[in-house]
Amino acid sequence: MAAVTEPISASAEEINDEILRVLNPPSRLYVVGVLALMGLVGAGMAALAYQTYAGFGVTGLNHPVMWGVYITCFVFWVGIAHAGTLISAILFLFRAKWRNAINRGAEAMTVMAVITAALFPLIHIGRLWKFYFMLPYPNQRGLWVNFKSPLIWDVFAVNTYMTISILFLFVGLIPDIAAARDRCTDWRRHLYNILALGWHGTTEQWRHHARAVLHLSGLATPLVLSVHSVVSWDFAMALVPGWHTTIFAPYFVAGAIFSGMAMVITIMVPVRKAFGLEKLIRAEHFDNMGKFIVLTSSIVAYAYAVEFFMAWYSANPFEQGSFWHRAFGDYWWATWIMITCNVVIPLPLWIKKVRLNVVAMWVISIFINIGMWFERFVIITTGLSHEYNPAAWGYYTPSWVELTILAASFAWFGMWFLIFLRMLPIVSISEVKELHYEGQEGGAH
Amino acid sequence: MAEVLGVLATPGKAAAAVGSLKQAGFSDLEVYSPVPSHEIEEAVGKGPSRVRLWTLIGGLTGVTSGYLMTIWMAYDWPLVIGGKPFASIPAYTIIAFELTILFGGVLTVLGMITHGLIVGAKRPTAYRPSFTRDEFGCLVRCHSDQISRVQELLRDAGSMEVRVVEG
Repeated sequence: MAAVTEPISASAEEINDEILRVLNPPSRLYVVGVLALMGLVGAGMAALAYQTYAGFGVTGLNHPVMWGVYITCFVFWVGIAHAGTLISAILFLFRAKWRNAINRGAEAMTVMAVITAALFPLIHIGRLWKFYFMLPYPNQRGLWVNFKSPLIWDVFAVNTYMTISILFLFVGLIPDIAAARDRCTDWRRHLYNILALGWHGTTEQWRHHARAVLHLSGLATPLVLSVHSVVSWDFAMALVPGWHTTIFAPYFVAGAIFSGMAMVITIMVPVRKAFGLEKLIRAEHFDNMGKFIVLTSSIVAYAYAVEFFMAWYSANPFEQGSFWHRAFGDYWWATWIMITCNVVIPLPLWIKKVRLNVVAMWVISIFINIGMWFERFVIITTGLSHEYNPAAWGYYTPSWVELTILAASFAWFGMWFLIFLRMLPIVSISEVKELHYEGQEGGAH
Repeated sequence: MAEVLGVLATPGKAAAAVGSLKQAGFSDLEVYSPVPSHEIEEAVGKGPSRVRLWTLIGGLTGVTSGYLMTIWMAYDWPLVIGGKPFASIPAYTIIAFELTILFGGVLTVLGMITHGLIVGAKRPTAYRPSFTRDEFGCLVRCHSDQISRVQELLRDAGSMEVRVVEG
């Protein structure tokens, strides 16, 4: 991956103040935006309350399609999270220094996406109050959870992922919270004082901090690969045609990074514009993220193609029927949205000029988000709606309850991200300053 | 005992100041830095952080408890499936793996906090808010009769400001 060639032109002082300026009292537009998102979240909560009261019949879920929008959203949001960990952990281990300007935004996005994703298994349970049945706890029946089930693997994988990504975000934030504490004059000073954990940037603190970041990166790297593999096994371990394939784990991991990178671009472009961070988050960053998108889009395109090839080559009529149904059956529209958005629309990104065009990147990234949501929808619904027995084929249409909760999930994600934006530094102050000093002293690392 | 603070502009200068101070025999010093710096760390010379031990212990605890928990639970409610062993090691490896990461990560952070971070710690006397912004502080503890020597060394290393904090 190409390094950022030009050194940052701002001084350390400017970097510090420019990033912390984002924390200044918000504009009216921001407040209105947060309130609007809160309203949408409220609508989603009302829909969930109605579903909880009335029962699962209010959703479109019924035999044979028992997994629908909720599980689609779950996989989608877990996938979105992956780019953050890729940027913060994997690129850290590869010493790809350009990540320093975008890693905080990506990490924050990871945490927001995981907390959004984690809601969906709960929503999908129906009987919300029984959520603890998923945990191995001592009970009067002497019964334990089934550790051979991919659904239980998922409980462990997603909870671990949530915990580690929150810790990772927080550890990275400590020096920056201290920087905010030292510049802040309002009530947040007390909050930062507690959250900074007594950080004063001594050599001893940096020494342990650097080691902790290194080890967390080392732990998060296999974790990020495992999480979406485990999510893919929710499907691949089942005997449903269209699901039961060995390529699912790498296919899902590539798709996760693909969609996550797109989401980083979708949210960082407006943030960069609104807060004038062009000096720090530059066109080169979008260029590099664009390269990731090109790579992962190609892997995803290959996976789409090879799935059809395997169905044909297997000579298995059920597999073939499932894939014929996928491309030309009831859900042809969803499949072709998926292929258009994920394979065709990202093609211009092979051209550097397009990757350096922030507006073009933003538009393409939104299409990728849509395409990747539909990818999960296609996999889940086409598989289930067209299994072995023709008498048990069916068609699934999401109800308004599910669609409201779908919309609310985006609002929930956006709301937390906006709140984060104003409370904690969205660009890593210490790491960008590190780049600045390295550029000044000729890269002493 | 006295404390002398030198304020420097870059990590390179701070590292050089530490180097010359240590050479002159002043090793009781503290550097405040807004950025992580290998140069400063090497100049101060403390060796690898003990946080790595925390990670190791956490990881080993995680992998052990992952296998022990799943295997014990399988035998606590034994189900015969096709005459296979009750415990299914390949499936349980996933749980053990996730717990390795979970415990390893949590203990890494606890280790980092244990070594050197105190919640709501009082600001050290020599500390300045600019040390999280764009200035590096080099604080030296010395005998009161050595103050002028330390001041000279700090000035020679390019300090923008040298000040006696206590003494």
